[in-house]
Amino acid sequence: MSLRAPRHNPVAPPIETTARESIQRAAPDAALPSTEPRGCLPMDLRTGEPLAPTAQPGYYPGFSTLAQQKFWDEATRKVVLKRVSDPPPLRFFSPDEARLMQAVIDRVLPQDDRDDEHKIPILNVIDDRLYHNRIDGYRYEDMPPDREAHRLGLRAIDTIARKVHGQPFVDLSPSEQDLVLKSIHDCQPQAAHDIWQRMDCQRYWMLLMQDCIEGYYAHPWAWDEIGFGGPAYPRGYMRLEHGLPEPWEVEEQRYEWSGPQWSASNEYHPIGTEHGTTTPGQEGTH
Amino acid sequence: MKKSPLFGAFRAPRNGAHHLGPLQKIETPMRRYAPGEEVDYVVVGVGSAGGVLVQRLARAGFRVIGFDAGPFWDTERDWVSDEAGSYNLYWNDLRITGGQDPLAFGANNSGKGVGGGSVHWAGFTPRFHPSDFRVYSEDGVGADWPISYWDLRPYYDLMEREIPVAGPANYPWGDPHGYPYGPHPLGGVGDALVRGCTNLGIRVVAGGPVAITSGSHADRPHCIYRGFCIQGCKVGAKQSTLISHVPDAIRHGAEIRDRCMVSRINMGKDGRVTGVTYFDPDGNEREQRAKVVIVSAYSIETPRLLLNSACAGFEQGLANSSGIVGKYLMAQAGNVILGRFAEPVRMYKAPPAHALTEEFYETDPARGFARGFAIQTVGPLPIAFGKQMMVAKGAWGWGLRKVMMDYNHWAAFGFLGEILPWADNRVELADETDQYGLRVAKITFSLHENDQKLIAWGVNKTMDVMRAAGAEEVVQEPRYAHLIGGARMGDDPRTSVVDSFGRTHDIPNLFLCDGSIFPTQGSANPGLTIQALAARTADYLIAEGEAVTRRPAQVNVAPPIRYDLSPPGVSGRGMPRIKSSGHGVKIGLGGLAIGNDD
Repeated sequence: MSLRAPRHNPVAPPIETTARESIQRAAPDAALPSTEPRGCLPMDLRTGEPLAPTAQPGYYPGFSTLAQQKFWDEATRKVVLKRVSDPPPLRFFSPDEARLMQAVIDRVLPQDDRDDEHKIPILNVIDDRLYHNRIDGYRYEDMPPDREAHRLGLRAIDTIARKVHGQPFVDLSPSEQDLVLKSIHDCQPQAAHDIWQRMDCQRYWMLLMQDCIEGYYAHPWAWDEIGFGGPAYPRGYMRLEHGLPEPWEVEEQRYEWSGPQWSASNEYHPIGTEHGTTTPGQEGTH
Repeated sequence: MKKSPLFGAFRAPRNGAHHLGPLQKIETPMRRYAPGEEVDYVVVGVGSAGGVLVQRLARAGFRVIGFDAGPFWDTERDWVSDEAGSYNLYWNDLRITGGQDPLAFGANNSGKGVGGGSVHWAGFTPRFHPSDFRVYSEDGVGADWPISYWDLRPYYDLMEREIPVAGPANYPWGDPHGYPYGPHPLGGVGDALVRGCTNLGIRVVAGGPVAITSGSHADRPHCIYRGFCIQGCKVGAKQSTLISHVPDAIRHGAEIRDRCMVSRINMGKDGRVTGVTYFDPDGNEREQRAKVVIVSAYSIETPRLLLNSACAGFEQGLANSSGIVGKYLMAQAGNVILGRFAEPVRMYKAPPAHALTEEFYETDPARGFARGFAIQTVGPLPIAFGKQMMVAKGAWGWGLRKVMMDYNHWAAFGFLGEILPWADNRVELADETDQYGLRVAKITFSLHENDQKLIAWGVNKTMDVMRAAGAEEVVQEPRYAHLIGGARMGDDPRTSVVDSFGRTHDIPNLFLCDGSIFPTQGSANPGLTIQALAARTADYLIAEGEAVTRRPAQVNVAPPIRYDLSPPGVSGRGMPRIKSSGHGVKIGLGGLAIGNDD
């Protein structure tokens, strides 16, 4: 398993360069802009300092799936490039809903470690799905249709914020926002019980998370972040075993980090359940 | 778009040729039957079963139309090497799902478009075991099939060559056998499964059996190990009936009417069907007359169509005098077991399906439940993996971002457990309607005690294997895979919907042929068995000829096996190496019609 020949990788920085250093190199102006909410940044666990926002977080500095687009087929290139250059407009959510939904997305799939030019649009992707009413082919009998579920969920989130923290969700501090969202993750919401009677709390949480995951991890910048090879036709792969990178991929260069200390989403706890069973996974695998 | 050089990308020519993979084209003009013209066969749903049926019937000279609600894919134009971009491959129309353990549909198990579910299956093609056909006799639970493994075995042999299946030389479980094409190389996940099983003394095979070419096969290239199997194989290496059987069907005069949603099966005054009503791509309601209708729309849409076709004399839906239509619906327990390794795995490379063990397939009384399970490789891409981490670890926010950065350190095994047929797991009609105004399916699904025990034991065992492979953290996501049942076959018209050839007990010229007619499901992926059963049904229909529209005096008389109806490039190649003598038909060169490669 660990039999690995040393290799020269022209893309990756020399092995002794830490990821932290390479991030700083990528952004020489390490001083944060004064408007940046320092408190929202993830933390370098070795220094205890916040990690500066960067174009490409993750352990694969220099890796770019888009740089390989000449090796992709035409249909795929069209779809992926449109995703990057032409995010769909907001048409489903009202301006107030959009503001609230963006605040929710900022906590359930935070991107404070990405610089402004490299934030991945999630809200637009969800809005577009709901605008076109694209569904996944089914609805749980204890759930309203997706459009209604998202609207109800936003109302419930704001109701909890006002009742527990005395302010609209968008005006809460990030840590308070995390607590509101965690109460839904745990299926122990402290308010909006009328809504939770019409809509299963666990299934709403999964709907929200799935939509965010589908937005973020469909984006080539997210592939670069996690070291996924991206579209692979017609070239394919040649190094299948032992986690070997292809010549155009990059060796992992780990750094130790965590979300900001106050964040409730740093720790892993099972999703709460009202039924005693967890809603099964919904993605095809086998 | 800015012109940039393409290295190896294949541009579709502008001459209207239909591309199925980079090399295969359909250039023959497709036959179009005139409006009002009666045909011999209408097949509803051109998927795993429908694709084989249409091809066989056309080759035998029948006039046949295959209807599909989705598009006739041009794979170069329509398919992408991308998770989110593959949305249109799935049956995304509304269904209502409920019960104690509700099933997910769409991308999880339901295809739409020519090729059906075989477009997005991972391609595992294990056979059912002989015991799968005798579950009631052997274990006192579930049901027996009206046929045995040995009735189906020659069709397994045949379809493994037509697909063609790549796999190990020695497949030790069930009826031991070998495969016509050699195994695929191991990816990181297969490596983990082989290591974990070996460390625990569990037999395991690698490199198949999968419906993915390991060597070039006629105009289909071999696998390039890009890992996007369930997003539709642009390479043309993974079989779907779209690329393996439909082109041959068209060359032999079949018509494929794509983007046509069949809304009802029409009954004549004599208690026989007269054809189907459907919505054409422009939404116009049209009728197609046929001497025989075969429904191959899978476990949700087949019962739904029968129920939606209720009419005077058939108030409970067609072929439903038993009240069994929609009942005994099954899914396999498909939990995903995920293990994190210190060293990178990069599980997006190689086909998701490429190694498995069926060591726990058969009933072992010591375990305290009937039947068993398989452990297989899977290879979730980032979106699927993110959703799995959401469930398996409860990840969200920064925790999700962090575990996703470890994507390349995780490997995933698919548990595949047999869930027994229960009458209360069922498909009914909801009051809500779809875009055609047709009532949608409502599915109710709950696990029973045997199922729960089997899943608990099997998931633990699978997690043990993952740990034995060296994983430092092991988590799991509950899930269900595949659909089976909903219109089961049997000898007794009071307890089943069709006979073993798919003829409905109630209506002589209405047949069902797909996974919905399975009485039980084993813990093998159903795709190969669906195709094998379709080939057997086709042989029956062809042998009966004109007489097929009448009720036969005798049922279950095995038809002669037609080795001359395979698509080109099959005959005489990849002879399976059969180890056991069995009771079935011996296959040797003497039984093969050589030289049908037209």
